[in-house]
Parts: sequence; C-alpha cells; structure tokens
Amino acid sequence: MALRGQSSSVPLKISIVCLTLAISCGTLFSLATGGRTDVGLADIFRPEGMARTVLFDIRMPRTCAAALLGVNLGMAGLVLQAITRNPLASPAILGINQGAALGLALGVVLPNTIDLPLDLYALTGALTAGVVTFAISGGFGGKIDSLRLVLGGVAVGAFSYAMVRFTYTLDDDIARSVIRWTVGDITDIRWSETKRLAVWAVPGFLASLVMAQRFNLMALGQASARGLGADPRITLLLGTIVAAALAGASVTVAGPIAFAGLIVPHLAKFLFGGDHRVLTPTTALLGAALMLFADGLSKTLTAPIEAPIGVVAALMGAPWFLWHTIFARDVS
Amino acid sequence: MRHASSTRLIWTLLGLTFAAIAVFLWSLSAGAVHIPIATIINTLFDLDGPKQSFIINKSRLPRSLLAFCTGGSLALSGAIVQALLRNPLASPKIIGINSGAALGVLLTFILAPTLNLNWLPVVAACGGILAAAAIFTVAEIATVSPARLALVGIAIGMTCDAAVDFILATSELYEVSAPLVWMTGSLWNRGWAHLNAVWPLLVGLSAITLLYSYRLDLIRLGTAQATSLGLNVRRERLVLLALATLLAALSVSVVGVLGFVGLMAPHIARQMVGGTHRGLLPVAMLVGAILVVVADAAGRALFAPLEVSAGILTAMFGAPFFVFLLLSNTSEARG
Repeated sequence: MALRGQSSSVPLKISIVCLTLAISCGTLFSLATGGRTDVGLADIFRPEGMARTVLFDIRMPRTCAAALLGVNLGMAGLVLQAITRNPLASPAILGINQGAALGLALGVVLPNTIDLPLDLYALTGALTAGVVTFAISGGFGGKIDSLRLVLGGVAVGAFSYAMVRFTYTLDDDIARSVIRWTVGDITDIRWSETKRLAVWAVPGFLASLVMAQRFNLMALGQASARGLGADPRITLLLGTIVAAALAGASVTVAGPIAFAGLIVPHLAKFLFGGDHRVLTPTTALLGAALMLFADGLSKTLTAPIEAPIGVVAALMGAPWFLWHTIFARDVS
Repeated sequence: MRHASSTRLIWTLLGLTFAAIAVFLWSLSAGAVHIPIATIINTLFDLDGPKQSFIINKSRLPRSLLAFCTGGSLALSGAIVQALLRNPLASPKIIGINSGAALGVLLTFILAPTLNLNWLPVVAACGGILAAAAIFTVAEIATVSPARLALVGIAIGMTCDAAVDFILATSELYEVSAPLVWMTGSLWNRGWAHLNAVWPLLVGLSAITLLYSYRLDLIRLGTAQATSLGLNVRRERLVLLALATLLAALSVSVVGVLGFVGLMAPHIARQMVGGTHRGLLPVAMLVGAILVVVADAAGRALFAPLEVSAGILTAMFGAPFFVFLLLSNTSEARG
C-alpha cells in the first residue's frame, strides 16, 4: 500500500498506551474538579456518602459526555477532512454545527405535531447544512473547490445562526437557555444525555471504520478513487451522513462546539500519519483525551464561574485554525 | 459614452436619495406604536401632540439617523476593502475588522464599565485596527493570495469571537447583559448620545474617502500601472485601508455587528452604476444606508411589540446573497 510508507511515525502499540494514559489522566482531572471543591482526587478512589453522589450522579455523566463529544466531533472532523480533501474542513466551519442548531431550534419552537425526537430535527438540520455547503462548493459535480467550500460553509453557518437567533428573539424563556447553549455547554448533563451521545457515537465510529479504505482512496485524488472503484460522490454523500449524524448528536446535547472537530484530526494525522484505518481509532481516543482535559480546564480556569467547554475548545482551536490558514500549503 | 454614464449616475443618485428619504420616513412610523406618516411630518416640524413627538424625537429619529450613518459607513468600508483586495467576496466582517472592534468594546465594558460613552468609538477603532493590522502583517510576511487573505481574516475573526464568547460566558449575567444586547447588531435603545458620539467622525471620514475615491480607480488598474502614473501604491493602500477600518469599526462601536451590509451594498451599487469608484462609492453609501434603515424598521414592524435585531435580518438576507456571489464569481474569487 502506498499509504503504509507515510503512516505511523510512532509505533502503534506505544501510541495506544500513551493515548490510554492521557485519557486516564484526563478522566481523573475532569472527575476531580467541579463546583464542590471539597470533593477531590482522594474521593475518587474511596467514594463515600455525599462524595459518592457527587461523583456518580453529577460528575461521571459529565465526564463521559465530554469524552464522547471528543469522539463524535473528532470523528466528524476526520470524515469531513477526508471527503473534502481539505484540511480546514470541520463541522463548525462547514456550517454543519449551526445547521444542527437551527434544526434543534425549529424543533423547540414549532408546534410539534408528529412528536419527533429532537435528535432527528438536529440531524436533519446538520445534514441539510452539509449538503447545501457541498452543493455550493461543487462537490456533487465531482470536484470540490476548496475556497468555495470554506466560504460557503461560513455563509451557511452565518445564515443558520441568524435564523437561530431569530427564533429565540420570539421567545424570552428559550432565549435564556439558548444563549448559554450556543457556546457549547455541558454543565447540566445527566446520564440520559450521555446515553444519547453514546447511541450515535458507536454506529458513527463503526461506519467510519468500515469506510476507512474509501477515505484512503479519496486521498489519492478523485480520478484515482473512481478508477479504483470508489465513486468519490458516493463517498462524499456517505461521509456527509456520518459526519452530520455525529455532529448533530453532539449539538443536541452540548450545543455547537467549534474547533474540536478541526484540531483533533490534525493532531492525529501529525502523530499517526495518513492511513484512515489507523486514524479512525486514534482520532477517537485523542478526541476523548482532549475534551476530557478541556472539561477539567473549563471547571478550573475561571473558578468559581465555569467557562463552558465549547469556549475552552474555541480558545484552543481558533489560534490553531489561524496558524493553519497562514501556513498550510493546500488550502487554496 | 462618458456623458451617458454620468447622466445615469445622476439619475441613480437622485432616485436613491428619494428612496432613502421615503424609507427614512417609513422607519419613523414603524414600530410598536404605529405613527402615521402625516403625523411624522407634522412632528418633525413641531406641529403635533406630545406623545408622538416624544417617541419620534427621543427614540426613532436618533435611531434612524444612526442606522443611516452606520449603513452608509459599512457600505463604504466594504467597497474599499473589495477594491483593495480585488476580491468581490471581501467585506469588513469577512476580514475580521468587525470582530476585532467587538472584542475591543466588550473588553472595555468589562474592564472599565464606568467609561464615558464617548470613548467607545476610540476603543472600537483600536480593536478594529489591531485586527486589520494583524491581517495585513500576515499578507506582507507570507505574501499570500487574496483568496488566502480572506481565510486569514475569517480565522482572525474567529479567534476574536472565541475571546468574546469566553468573556460573555464567564462573566456574571448582570455584567454582560448590556454588551450582549449590544453585540447582536441591533439599534435597540440607541439614542442621541450614541449618535453624537460617532456622526461627526463618520461624516468626516466618509467625506475624505469620497475625495480619495479616484485613487481607488488607479489602484484597480494594477500596481505597475498605478506606479507609472505617479502613485505611491503602498502608501495609498495603507491610507485607504485605515479609512475602511475606521469606518467599519466606528459603526460597530455603536450598533454592534451588522453582518453582510458591507458586502451587499457595494455589489448592488455596482449593478446600478458599474465599477468606477467616483460614482460607485456614493451610490453604495446610499444603498447601505437604505438597507440598514429598512432592516431596523422591518425588525420593529414585523412582530411588534417584539423587536428582531437588524443584524439578524441583514444576516438572513446577506448570507444567501453571499452564496449567490460565490457561485457567480468563482473565477475571480480564486484570485
């Protein structure tokens, strides 16, 4: 395989061990911090009484949710970057997050006659935004224009976001919760929300793993991919569905978290090369580790007020995006 | 040929001026309390009862004037930026000036809440200039293409936005409620104080820009030709960029981020009178002013007594317009 050569600058076993270690540290960090400063590291190993309730009912679901968000968004970003062959692609930049937010806002505001679950609204919104962005960039004609992709995504995102704000100017009660939600917040997460994330994370992960070889072929170029039997347009469509599902689920639970979907795949590619069969699991692990640390930071950075996890992720990711737009060779 | 285009320009300007006056009067009448146009005309010339004159003089008149000034300034700024970058997709928002100004103003809201309103434009201008300076430093150092420059601007804007979100999300609610309202690109609750803080600057800068406009046409010929015509292109670009930045940043300082006005107005103007900047700039200004006055008035009238921010309306119509430009201008956009 052509890709073998450039993969794995670090032996896979060692990197898996390192990632597991990072996740463990992140989990401890995220569990040990929180509003009650008297529940700390020591209580994790011998939970008793009140500390037990705090850990299992309040912090644990949130920690799991942070990890799952990292998995979902990292995978969504990886898939998007693969199918667009554009290193700047991510759910937030292509407008998919904002589309999901719009779907969700519509689901909350519109009279719900058929009683559909909110996840479905978000998913539909995400998918619509993704398809519109790709259509603008010329993706379904078989050739994606990189610049049009990013600029089209920005426009789709701006439009969706304006519509979201429009829906909440009409209703004060929604406005209050939505303002905090739009920056990406997991403060009030309980087990039921965590389960909703997991339900989407598992099939999303499996689908990406199954399609890993298709994504590898995309990297060879549209023509080569077609020649090797993988029509790039089908890969694009399947990838959009997977990414929209992953991003949409994250948005329903935690709001549109920007940039996690951008930096995690980059970091993974930097560490483990370009083979998607390796990248898919490592990106998932790396995303989990990163978001666990972001969650810990969000609780400690500005204590006692919490900085929402989405804001922490944006503060880490935006400078990265800036650096990349300046120095990456292959964006335009 | 030249004569014909001049006549057309004059008629366009006349038509737009009438449109602007009509829209302006409508915007005074629209809102939670509907006031008939006849009453407004009476009130403006001191002929009618106290309730109407209070609403018109204290609330709607300064607001509409402010919409008029900021719309014109944003449009002018957008026209300059598009000419300088030779990129039809550029606008103050896209290249990050708006976000920089927003960050500057928000920081002062938090760090110095007691600061006089008159300082707001200064702070916003500093923020906007810093963002613009960052973008053009990158352009100088890395010698990037115009297309890449738009990306860098988006990235700088996003970085500023991340900082804005951080401040908004981590402050106490009562501290940020004022900036939050301000951030959404709305003219709600703007009065004479806001107008007085910016109008002399905006009008002055606009006048300077209009006088300068012939140089934009020279620059548009290309660097080599402009230089051979005796123009110090580098210096001219800097001056024009500073003007564009100041115009956009000052507008942001009083009305927040009104997306896409700076993008749409110059394009609509170009459809009307073509590309010469001598005619384009005043037409673009009027178009921008009309857009913002309409957005503001429509926001008040649509769901009265609720208000929809003008910024929401401009983004709702501006984003599809941007996509339309993107699709029709691909070859130019690639730069």
